[in-house]
Amino acid sequence: MKKKTLALLLALVMALSLLAGCGNKNDTPAPTPDTPPADTQTPDTPDEPTEPAEPAPSETTPGGDLPRTETLYFAGQQWGTVNSWSPIGSNQNNAMAVTGKAAGSRTLMFETLYMYNPLDGSLTGLLADGDYQWNADQTEMTVKIKPAAKWSDGTPVTANDVKRTFDIGVQVGNGTGTGFGAYIEEIVAQDDSTVVIKAAKNDAGQAKNPLKILDFLSATLIAQAAWIDTMAARNNNDSVSILNDAGDDVVWSGPYTKYYSDDQKVVLIRDDNYWGQDASMWGKLPVPKYIAHTIYADNPAGENALKAGEVDVCQQFIGNIQDLWLKDGLPISTFYQEAPYGMCLTMPTAWYNMNIPVLAENPALRKAIAMAVDYDSIIANAMTNQSPSFADVPRSLMNPTDGEQALYNHDAVKDLQWVGNDIEGAKALLDEAGLVDSDGDGIREWNGEKISLNACCPNGWTDWQASMEIVAAAGEKIGVEITTSFPEWSIYQTVFTQPGQTEYQIFMYSPEAATPSNPWQRANQFLGKEYVGVENNWSGNWGQYVNEEADELILKIPTTTDTNELKDIYTKLVEIYLTEVPSFSLMYRPDQFHAVNESVWTNFPSADDGRNIPPMMCTDGYGIAALYDLELVG
Amino acid sequence: MKNTLRQVFHSSKFVGGFIIFALILLTMIIYPLINPGNPLEQIGVGTFAKPGTYVSLYDSLSSPLETMRLPGADDKRLAKSLSDEDRVAMVEWFTAMDISVEGLDITDTDAMLDLWFANYDTSAKPKGMTMAKRNYYQRLNNNLLDIRAGDTLVIATNNEETGELEEKSAVTKTDYVNIGEVANVKTLPLGTDNFGRDVLKQLVSACGTSIRIGLVAGLVATLIGLSLGLLAGYMGGIADDLIMFVTNIFTVIPGFVLLILITNSVGQEQRGATLVAVVIGLTSWTWTARSVRSQVISLRNRDHVNLSKLSGHSMIRIVLTDILPYIASYVVMAFILQVSSGILAEAQLSLLGLGPRTTTTATLGLMMNWAMLYSAHTNGSWWAYFPVILTITLISFSLNLMNTGLDQVFNPTLRD
Repeated sequence: MKKKTLALLLALVMALSLLAGCGNKNDTPAPTPDTPPADTQTPDTPDEPTEPAEPAPSETTPGGDLPRTETLYFAGQQWGTVNSWSPIGSNQNNAMAVTGKAAGSRTLMFETLYMYNPLDGSLTGLLADGDYQWNADQTEMTVKIKPAAKWSDGTPVTANDVKRTFDIGVQVGNGTGTGFGAYIEEIVAQDDSTVVIKAAKNDAGQAKNPLKILDFLSATLIAQAAWIDTMAARNNNDSVSILNDAGDDVVWSGPYTKYYSDDQKVVLIRDDNYWGQDASMWGKLPVPKYIAHTIYADNPAGENALKAGEVDVCQQFIGNIQDLWLKDGLPISTFYQEAPYGMCLTMPTAWYNMNIPVLAENPALRKAIAMAVDYDSIIANAMTNQSPSFADVPRSLMNPTDGEQALYNHDAVKDLQWVGNDIEGAKALLDEAGLVDSDGDGIREWNGEKISLNACCPNGWTDWQASMEIVAAAGEKIGVEITTSFPEWSIYQTVFTQPGQTEYQIFMYSPEAATPSNPWQRANQFLGKEYVGVENNWSGNWGQYVNEEADELILKIPTTTDTNELKDIYTKLVEIYLTEVPSFSLMYRPDQFHAVNESVWTNFPSADDGRNIPPMMCTDGYGIAALYDLELVG
Repeated sequence: MKNTLRQVFHSSKFVGGFIIFALILLTMIIYPLINPGNPLEQIGVGTFAKPGTYVSLYDSLSSPLETMRLPGADDKRLAKSLSDEDRVAMVEWFTAMDISVEGLDITDTDAMLDLWFANYDTSAKPKGMTMAKRNYYQRLNNNLLDIRAGDTLVIATNNEETGELEEKSAVTKTDYVNIGEVANVKTLPLGTDNFGRDVLKQLVSACGTSIRIGLVAGLVATLIGLSLGLLAGYMGGIADDLIMFVTNIFTVIPGFVLLILITNSVGQEQRGATLVAVVIGLTSWTWTARSVRSQVISLRNRDHVNLSKLSGHSMIRIVLTDILPYIASYVVMAFILQVSSGILAEAQLSLLGLGPRTTTTATLGLMMNWAMLYSAHTNGSWWAYFPVILTITLISFSLNLMNTGLDQVFNPTLRD
């Protein structure tokens, strides 16, 4: 009898474990990276639901159901309860309201001086009036503020607000301070509407990096000086508490403001007094009254919501996205109709850790592994072909945009580029370098020790995990032992940003996408000495590679204006990069994924509509222009 | 012994379970002989190729041609590129563009196409039409262009010197090749997984690994459980108290949680199949220990045991010769259950991403893990996970069936 109950129990356990197996699918994959880590690195600290800033209109209550035809739903940006509304802080996770990045800041609630458009690299004035002006030797930039620009409390946006935003950034060391403090000496408010940005100068008296000042224009969300003063005063001017301020009383200038937020969703409501309806800016209000972002557990949850039409704009990687319209016949589209479907601006890269002697001292090993990797497989598997191949866009320091591709001499580096899966070539390279297998175990040795490396990326970032598996498989084919390891992101981010770490030997991270300062910025991230040895390094050169020649060239770029000379420098840098292989890019990838479901809203930007609006989620940089053109279906 | 075996094989349940298990084992042995090679090789570039037979398009062009006039071939071709829904959608487009469709028969392909090509404009944006719909019409237009294209497709090579295309051969709608004549044909009965690996080949190999993991885990668990149970039950007193104290602690801590913690702390680099198996074994021995102990307690005061004691036999000898044979059948059954639960535990662990390394071995759990990470369950790629679930179920089912069969034979209270 006992055994019978036991068998019954076992059957129960079996059934339960099967059930557990089914249930578990929601636990493993974590969100894929969306915004640069400077803003997202902090864990989500749950906050009390914030009170609505404005009284609700008659039938809609905060936290209640939103009218579907007045709400634009997003997915793929916010993964935890919003913890702060302050554009000055750096420990907040408020993706929808506070995301500042040079590739196009999210200007729903706070605004930048200019809006960047990665489609053509242009900057369009937002708070700024007309074009910026450099002085003759490019050391001072003058920006005018639009007379119409107003804060939510009705006071005008002034030059002093820009100055105060920069100053407090430097004082407390937030993204603005650490990112631009070294390049901007000071910002002067000449009068209420005139901002003068004085560049930090190098020894020769030139601006250290005028490109970085362009980044400042499109990246920095401007906050009100008066509010900054109030906020700093209540925090006793203490940097740490200023960075952590919840900013519930914040004053904004953008078209939306906070409406409701809890651990389920975050909702922004349109500010019908928004200054941008002035003819000097948009001339109207954005169409959706509410911007809502449900906080999904993981990527599949967001994907299902998009399929069901519960999400209008989805910033998530969706494998084989074309099946959604080809097979399932759903009203879902991307910016481009054909592969790669999105605008690829960055290239997730595997970095070699130069603290590991065998990697640091063997460029042949670095190149051999990179040559053996089957990139077509990565692009087909991990990206489901949502990336151009390395045969289409040969590897260099540039992203696939025409503008960047034109910056180097393709023929000069042709012999150095590789398309991958070249096992024989890689083996020959290793043999030539004397890295051979002398004890017959199938693994090559260096200095008598077998070459054994790990390949790491955060757990749950499935496309990256698959890439690392393919890198490991390449290692096996050329006699280098590579094992994969997928730590949790919370651990991963603390390790790979440390300059002395030896734990991760080949590890993944993405360089900058498209910004006004690229491809210089990316070259600096790949080869520059600037970031070597920096603690908590979120900026670049995570592999700690040092090359004096490359560094000199990189320092020359920002002040070089002659295009031919610039092209020569970039070509030389690409040459060094492809010879030394301090890292190797695995695929091209969009900065923001942008899939839209037209069940409720339509007239989203597309490649051929002639509007020149980039696929940046209808919120980032010049991408926000799309919000003003949306229409309801039918 | 012979008699026992005969008895065992008279139990229909045991035989049923045994046959299923033997068939699985047989497939594991025979299939790699038919289809040799590395089961983890990525043959497909891309994710989730459907089950079916794949014919090399390139090779079929150079295979001998037969001309066949099959009735209905044109209709089939047409239906493939122009469905009934497409026809309705075409009419919708005409309506949206204010084009008169009076007298148009939507089954009349030629009339439809004529009207379509006379009016369709890729840049047209009918009011209220979504981008998704406009894109659909562009794709439809491309399909229609193919339908209208001539009967002959030209195969051309690129002349390297002149850079011009030179006609090499032409393919007509009535050309057929015998699949046996094509140099490269690959049948993938279960398609490929997210890495482009042959699912069936991987499944067979994974099945072997999982059964091995189950055996090792079962062996470890049964050995520990058996020895502790024997000791506790036979010795009694303080030894019994101590052993049961430890066992109770392990019983109270949920085994699976312990398993997750241990495998996670080991790290993926060291996590081979054997290690995972040993860890599973180390966390699942408690119930064996408890039940063996209770059986031993009831045995230890039997006359033949006492006789052995009086004869001055050592404890080890008594345990091995006078006690163990009496509970052997029970131990075998416990072992079978341990194997079964070991296989399940591995599947669960791997599903959580805590299984063995992916590049080195295929296990049933890892296959499910990757299928899940690539949303096979939502994008309709059933072949990537369903056969795996079925296999796990079959293995567990057969083992449990064998166990029940044995139970009926050895347990006097259940005997007919």
